[in-house]
Amino acid sequence: MARASHPQAMTPHRPGSTRTAPPQVPDRFWTQRRMAIYQLFDATGLPYMLVGLLALRVAFALGRGPEAWAALMQDFAHPLYVAFHVLALLSALFVGVRFFRLFPKAQPARLGPAKPPPRPLIHVGLYAAWLGVTAILLVVLGGIWP
Amino acid sequence: MSKLLLRLEPVIWLLFGAGIMLGTMLLPAYLLTVGLGGPLGLLPEGALAYDRAHAIASNPLGRLVLLGLIALPLWKGAHLLRSLLGEWLGHGADGAIGSLLYAVAAVGSVLGIYAVLTL
Repeated sequence: MARASHPQAMTPHRPGSTRTAPPQVPDRFWTQRRMAIYQLFDATGLPYMLVGLLALRVAFALGRGPEAWAALMQDFAHPLYVAFHVLALLSALFVGVRFFRLFPKAQPARLGPAKPPPRPLIHVGLYAAWLGVTAILLVVLGGIWP
Repeated sequence: MSKLLLRLEPVIWLLFGAGIMLGTMLLPAYLLTVGLGGPLGLLPEGALAYDRAHAIASNPLGRLVLLGLIALPLWKGAHLLRSLLGEWLGHGADGAIGSLLYAVAAVGSVLGIYAVLTL
């Protein structure tokens, strides 16, 4: 059954003279391709939240000392943690690819006298920053430097 | 509660936006090393040994990055999960769901600040 959607969805900015039916969520909305991808994007929120909580565990383990750190690393080697971290990695890549494609389109056409750079340039810049940050962190955390 | 969330929206949106932009930039390398490479022994010997990991994390920039890895994904995740649950459960429960998710993110962020300050 179709059900009522958000009461403010599609509400005009100013009340007009045209009366419209209340908005409805279509049946089986999740089967529509666009909606399915959109929901997958939203669903990445769960791995993100869990990654944040696990990073909190990492910080506390570093504060407690070598034994806590070794125990945490041993925990992380468990197949469930490994599977979760792979899922989280896929989520981050999915979010990055999708969001960095959207970001240039979401820029204001102009901001005072300034105009944003051309969209492909913003897109390339985001990827360059992403790769740069990833490379630096891999070098530092991967034991290559310092 | 929905009214309060609406008033806090600018702050929530800022943290969510930072989470989706900076969090996503930081995550792949962190997950590849601390999440997978270190525990599975795929990194060079001693790369994530306690002394080295502690030295990296307790550097001022390291503390900031670690806090970012804790707080930003929490806010990004909370905001998107609220949106997903709104689609599925209807918007009547939005105030309660949003408050709960943001509370988790807020408590996690405060604990994160404490954790990186006491490294």
